Amino acid sequence: MTELVQEATAYDVVEGEPPELLGRNLNSGAHLFASATAFFFLAFVFAYFYLRAQNNAGLWKPKKVDPSVAWGTVVMALAVASALLVRLGLQRHRAGRREEWRRVGVLALVVGFAAAVLQVVEWTTLHFGPTDGGYASVFYGWTAFQLLFTLGTLLWLENVVATSWRYRKVASGSPGPGEASGDPHRTGHDVADPLSLVRPGLEAVSFYWGFVAALGVLLWVVLYLA
Amino acid sequence: MATGAADHAAVASEPNHGRRFLALWIGASIVATPLVAIFLGPALPPGNGSAQGKEQVFDNQWMLTIVTPVFLFVVILLGYVVVAFRSRTPELVDGPPVRGNARIQLLWLVITPVVVLFLAGFGSYELVQSGAGGGQGPTPAFQPAGYQQALDVQVIGQQWEFTYRFPTYGGVETPHLVLPANTLVRLHVTSLDAIHSFWAYQLGVKADANPGVDNVVYVQTKKPMAFDIHCAELCGLWHGYMFDTGHVVPSSQFAGWIKQQQSYFAPVTKLLPKYATTYLPEPSRRAG
Amino acid sequence: MSALAVETSPPVWRRLIGFNLLTAILLGIGGWYLGWFCAHQITGASLDYFGDIDQNDLAVFMGYFVGVLGFLVGLGFGVYPWARLRGYPPSLREKETEGIGRYFGLCTDHKVVGIQYLVGIGVFFFVGGLNAMLIRTELLSPTSHVFPANNYLTLVGMHGTMMMGMFTSGILGPFANYFVPLMIGARRMAFPRIESLTFWLLMAAGTILTTTLAFGGFPTGWTGYQPLNDQANAGMDAYIAFFALVGISMCLLGLNMIATIVTMRAPGLTWSRLPIFCWGVLSTAILMLLAAPVLVAVLLMSMLDRTAQTSFFIPAAGGSQYLYENLFWVFGHPEVYILALPGFAIVLELLPVFSRKPLWGYRLAVAGLLGVTLLSWLVWQHHLFVSGINADLRPFYMLSTELISIPTGFTFICGLMTMWRGNLRFTVPMLFCLAWFFNFLIGGLSGVFLSDVPSDVTTHGSFFSMAHFHYTIMGALIFTFFAAIYYWVPKMTGFELNERLGKIHFWLMFVAFNSTFGPLFAVGFLGQPRRVVSYPHNLIFLNRWVSISAFVLGFSLLIFLANFVWSLVFARVPAPQNPWGSRSLEWQLPSPVPVHNFDRIPHITSDPYDYGEPAPGPVAVPAPSPAGGMR
Repeated sequence: MTELVQEATAYDVVEGEPPELLGRNLNSGAHLFASATAFFFLAFVFAYFYLRAQNNAGLWKPKKVDPSVAWGTVVMALAVASALLVRLGLQRHRAGRREEWRRVGVLALVVGFAAAVLQVVEWTTLHFGPTDGGYASVFYGWTAFQLLFTLGTLLWLENVVATSWRYRKVASGSPGPGEASGDPHRTGHDVADPLSLVRPGLEAVSFYWGFVAALGVLLWVVLYLA
Repeated sequence: MATGAADHAAVASEPNHGRRFLALWIGASIVATPLVAIFLGPALPPGNGSAQGKEQVFDNQWMLTIVTPVFLFVVILLGYVVVAFRSRTPELVDGPPVRGNARIQLLWLVITPVVVLFLAGFGSYELVQSGAGGGQGPTPAFQPAGYQQALDVQVIGQQWEFTYRFPTYGGVETPHLVLPANTLVRLHVTSLDAIHSFWAYQLGVKADANPGVDNVVYVQTKKPMAFDIHCAELCGLWHGYMFDTGHVVPSSQFAGWIKQQQSYFAPVTKLLPKYATTYLPEPSRRAG
Repeated sequence: MSALAVETSPPVWRRLIGFNLLTAILLGIGGWYLGWFCAHQITGASLDYFGDIDQNDLAVFMGYFVGVLGFLVGLGFGVYPWARLRGYPPSLREKETEGIGRYFGLCTDHKVVGIQYLVGIGVFFFVGGLNAMLIRTELLSPTSHVFPANNYLTLVGMHGTMMMGMFTSGILGPFANYFVPLMIGARRMAFPRIESLTFWLLMAAGTILTTTLAFGGFPTGWTGYQPLNDQANAGMDAYIAFFALVGISMCLLGLNMIATIVTMRAPGLTWSRLPIFCWGVLSTAILMLLAAPVLVAVLLMSMLDRTAQTSFFIPAAGGSQYLYENLFWVFGHPEVYILALPGFAIVLELLPVFSRKPLWGYRLAVAGLLGVTLLSWLVWQHHLFVSGINADLRPFYMLSTELISIPTGFTFICGLMTMWRGNLRFTVPMLFCLAWFFNFLIGGLSGVFLSDVPSDVTTHGSFFSMAHFHYTIMGALIFTFFAAIYYWVPKMTGFELNERLGKIHFWLMFVAFNSTFGPLFAVGFLGQPRRVVSYPHNLIFLNRWVSISAFVLGFSLLIFLANFVWSLVFARVPAPQNPWGSRSLEWQLPSPVPVHNFDRIPHITSDPYDYGEPAPGPVAVPAPSPAGGMR
């Protein structure tokens, strides 16, 4: 029962991580977080159908509770358009046309942000408030958290675009030690080439934004059409 | 038991542990199981106060009987292992490198589902007879024979007491529960505020009282007796004091009692809302 | 730990300025008042109105959430998002230094986080345990009361919520964070910053729950059922904020664990060589990842009901309290297996070491863990057998609930057969594992009564079910938690725990535990409902017996605390590298483990259970130098 790991600590040099590990982590993280997101919104879908079926006190959906389909369609379409733009940007990035990707990325951010703003504007135009029965509760709750997830995803997208933008003139290269981490103890970067981060980040955010936009489509179908 | 792969490691003079264990377990089970079934079984709750209660006792008795050999299996095996296979040397000595035994695994994979399916089937059979005294929601699926003639009694939970309305007696509402003996009773349990749970212990009845829900439960009363009523779902400040005593009385006495209640509460009954399966109070957010 | 004495370091007051716990607490309090103030501007309520304290729920919620944000920024969690926002690349590691300061802030070293979790959860465990002692003090007598009824309910609620909320991460937090990377041959978790975030969110949440006392407590118990939830005063907001934060923490912890085990395994560590503990962590993490968001959603709905006046759960306004019960238990049932599964995994991981035999039926054990994971999604309405929800479906839920005993049985048979013909050493961790068999057996068999609808009519909502889940949670999870402490703390700290005190702790705890919760089955059978402040007079003897046993149980935990402090702070006997003779990878590293774990990622050559093989090879060899050379 002595050393089962032969000379495990006999080297004084610390070996680096495989460079593709970060991308793999991000990818699996995005998929796992998407599944958690799905279960979060599942609660709202369940609430919708459950309260609709119960229709307690006949207050599921009083007459005046009738959101405008046009508004909902615009918000949903903008989110989907933004997600498609990110997908397009990913294709450009894969093809090595980074200049184009950056422009498409910024456009996707603007379109996505417009969707978020219009959602807030929509609330102000409605003729009912959150107190008006079961449907109104689900409507306000679900759209609010859809908005929150949209904003979170846009923040992530912004991070990827920002990294790509900041190092647009650099082919590759390392920033100074300790930069960005705020940690004076750090002596070196784990990441030698910041631009190498853009692709995995972009792949992950593209998947996740597509997923959130798809949830937006589900919201549109359930809340506005059904 | 663990023969086969482990054989090469077993010392020739070592006793056959598997057979010893099986003998111990089977012996103990043969002795203990009937004792548990005969002596402990009938003492299980909730008692013989109603047909539903009797069913539950029967159910508990059966499950305790099945569970006893399972309990003995694990405990005796655990005890046997601890005694027979304790390390007798101060230094580390490895045991045989047995990584499994297809026969035991297969046997386990067959026996446990059989026991489980039997238990589930048994419980379901008991349940569909009459609902087993549990709340069944507004449209009960498991109705006992002769349910059309059942006596309707509404149980209304509110913070922090139960009241009872008798729709067939002019919708009179009383704070006391008295039921006629040898009668099939259909309780409609509902609430005016938080969730309560109507638990008539000796009758074997438990049904949650939800605002806006008519939770139906059948109970077939038997001999005259007193029974305990508790609230079994946390309903706020005085949940712990939400208990009462109900009575099952002979039919003639019940008729007299209900007549007396009707006349006593007549001024109140006039003011009450019309009898309904549920009552929805105004949404009060700060009632507590 | 000696970095404080290093001469070149700046004076202490200088080092207190920066991102650390002190800043975090100050910013947390400041954030609380900021949120409180802003919410009063939104609702138009007057800040001067003293009675406002239990009226303005929005102010309390905003206080909590802005306070938590301030707390996190103070710890240094704002640095990374700010850098990313400006396009700077992420760094993987932060504050991975020596010295005691790293325990009081954001640290991305998984070993530091593991110890933070152990101490942090331990503190709240003792708070929850103290609540239990006070509950039992009140129940000494049915008529003379120590606490007013509302304080009693708050104690009941705080005990349940604290334990259920904090201990969901009770094993995964300290032990999986610390040992999963070591077991799978990795240097870090997949998302180290998220790892640290889960811990600090949990600490913020625990603090928030204790502040419920300042707002009048909450009356609902740990389930927080509507519409009582909606009626309750502002103390309820603490419950909602606590559980929502715990849910977020759980979800992220699960995500991190799955990502780590899936992507970061060392070469050669195939799925069939993965230590069973990692399988247990993986199945628990799956449940955490998927169940916790449902909890967060249902609590946010409650929050909207209390602040924006929506009516998700108000039947008179188009909502339904059944919606709450359904959604809560969709989370709540996986939750109880989140509590149970790590216990299974620890028992199966430790038995081979102390039996000197390979794990018996590895695949069956894995199938058991994954089977429980899957089935736990299909059983939630067994909590609602008498509620009137879907009464026609009760036979299905009865069947699915009883089916869970099949995969659970796999764990039993694998554990028992691992010991068969072994050489059992009754060390303290082994004793706790053996106790698991006994306790969980009783917990499981009493669960059969609760799963059977006719029996459940009597036992539901009574002390019987309370005894049942204390057997499965305290008897299984807490006992294996202590097994893990006695087993792994020597590796985590480099110091031995006193064995004699450990054995006294075990025997006292085992006897007192059974003496406390065994009679409660009878109490429940005799008709005492849960969470009552008063009870029938014929149950006085049993209740007093239980109370006194509970005090002994509490005392046994003080023995543990004394042992822990004595061994680690005063006695400080250095632990050998591998005191138990384990073949698992974490024990092959020096104690305490170096910051970067492995200088070279090892190559795994076998599973860690090769006991008794004629010529066992090494479990791992260093991998050959990568083609790109060193960095």
